[in-house]
Amino acid sequence: MSITGFRIALPVILGALMCTPLAASPRFPNPLPAGQLMKVKVLPARYPDGWVFLDYASERIEIRDVGGDDGAVEGQVQARDSTTLLVPHGRAEFYTADTVWSRYTRGTRTDYITVYDKRTLDPIGEIVLPGAKRALITAMQGMFEFTDRQRLGLVFNFTPASSVTVVDLIARKVLGTIDIPGCSLIYPSGDLGFSTLCSSGTILSLKLDAQGRVAARRESARFNHLGRDPLFTSSALIGGVRYFATMQGNAQPIDMHGEFAKVLPAWSLLSPSERAAGWRPSGWQVVASDGKKDLYVLMQAQAHEGTQKDPAQEVWVYDVAAKARIRRLHLVRPGGSIALTHGSKPLLVVQSYAPRPGADDPYNQTEGRIDVYDPASGTLIRSLNTPGFRTRMSIQAVH
Amino acid sequence: MAKIDQLTESLLRGFASRTSRRSLFSVFGGMLAGAAALPLLPVARAATDGSQPPVYSGDPQDPGNQASCDYWRYCAIDGSLCACYGGSALACPPGTEMSPITWIGTCRNPADGRNYIMSYNDCCGGVLWGRCNCQRNDGDRPVVRPQRNNEITWCFGTKSQSYTCTVSIILGVEQDHPPQPRG
Repeated sequence: MSITGFRIALPVILGALMCTPLAASPRFPNPLPAGQLMKVKVLPARYPDGWVFLDYASERIEIRDVGGDDGAVEGQVQARDSTTLLVPHGRAEFYTADTVWSRYTRGTRTDYITVYDKRTLDPIGEIVLPGAKRALITAMQGMFEFTDRQRLGLVFNFTPASSVTVVDLIARKVLGTIDIPGCSLIYPSGDLGFSTLCSSGTILSLKLDAQGRVAARRESARFNHLGRDPLFTSSALIGGVRYFATMQGNAQPIDMHGEFAKVLPAWSLLSPSERAAGWRPSGWQVVASDGKKDLYVLMQAQAHEGTQKDPAQEVWVYDVAAKARIRRLHLVRPGGSIALTHGSKPLLVVQSYAPRPGADDPYNQTEGRIDVYDPASGTLIRSLNTPGFRTRMSIQAVH
Repeated sequence: MAKIDQLTESLLRGFASRTSRRSLFSVFGGMLAGAAALPLLPVARAATDGSQPPVYSGDPQDPGNQASCDYWRYCAIDGSLCACYGGSALACPPGTEMSPITWIGTCRNPADGRNYIMSYNDCCGGVLWGRCNCQRNDGDRPVVRPQRNNEITWCFGTKSQSYTCTVSIILGVEQDHPPQPRG
């Protein structure tokens, strides 16, 4: 056939094919029904106990069903830089604090809180934070916290001068800023106030008034040995007492019931022989609790200076009332962050690192995973992938 | 070193709690102008991509590949190596701005056995995509001691505070630790 003839014949052939009904398959005599257009999924008003928020530290925040065998992604909200999450009990919304620039990495900076509808994940409100001073630090506990029965949100700022912006989340407005020179992070204390860890090794407590202004302040004696044996800044709350692990392997409880934090006696997480073997807490979100009596700590063997943020091989479980270890859980892969889900059958959620066989990129030799364990037996129940995971993750169980 | 840190912290905190913000700025600005070396810190960021051509100083007293996380000066770094972005161990890549405020580390030079005080300066406002992520934590301390913390984005005093990558610059030799024998 000549080129010209082909040019004429081709559309005719294609047209004929398009207009000729293909013979129906005998297996499927009926076509699929037309789909419903414009459908957007919504989430349940109360999230199941097996769901968690995974904060990919400036990538995205993902709602993941770690309690189901398919480990489904249920939804996600955006995150740009050092994005932190605040999830209230019994309210139909949750909050993120984030920072963006008008030209992506340059231009006008905006710090803001987004109010999300918990069912639709629609952004239903926004509170712009003044001063371009929100702390840009790998997302971690203590950067965005509640006080006053979750009416107020507290945002940690670092410029490198330290301060806290107080926000009324119900009225959706900024109330003011409190300077906390030389101190970092926010730990709610009392009914209306917060405490903060200071570079002199103390904890400073600030009682607020209803307008979010400082009504009283008190600083503890020095107890946090920042050079030799500092507290990891992640902590777990059991009965109103916040439990920290220290780099050398001690537990440091701080009673947060009253308006002024009370530093309780520290106790050792290690026996002398374990200490001699170099066991130490290690990782990112290094402690977790069931909220009742058990404290979970990521533990690494043969630790030394420089390994304190490395992923750990085991999780040790302590009865905090007895100040005694009650279980050792061996992880199938080293873990960097841990959390427990709520509900009658909690799950131990571990952000872990798996080797990538054959990876030729020396900077990309592992991939992140979420491993889900039975916290009673230490049995691995399931393992989920975390595409796009890069360095550190914060895990927050749903209420 | 620890005693110096404590003394400095207690002095500064006392100073800060007694000083208005405006006067603090005037003093702090003067400190900044006089000290490109007043180090503070960076951010945890991203992994990935690799296969960089090696970059060497050519000086036998400064050994190692500057495009590798193993390079001795990177002992307390947490971020992307600027040597993988068109910069070097010392210089920011084109299109970015170096923060004058940094965090510090102390790294032992395997060639001369000396411990060097390193300034880790973040380069800011450029493209961020997580190449050559390097996380090492010798001497790293929680954010409560910020000048020793590598999770903070140390983009201060720059037009943009969006992180790109990190360089490491020698500030001086640690005086209270004499050179160690090699090996």
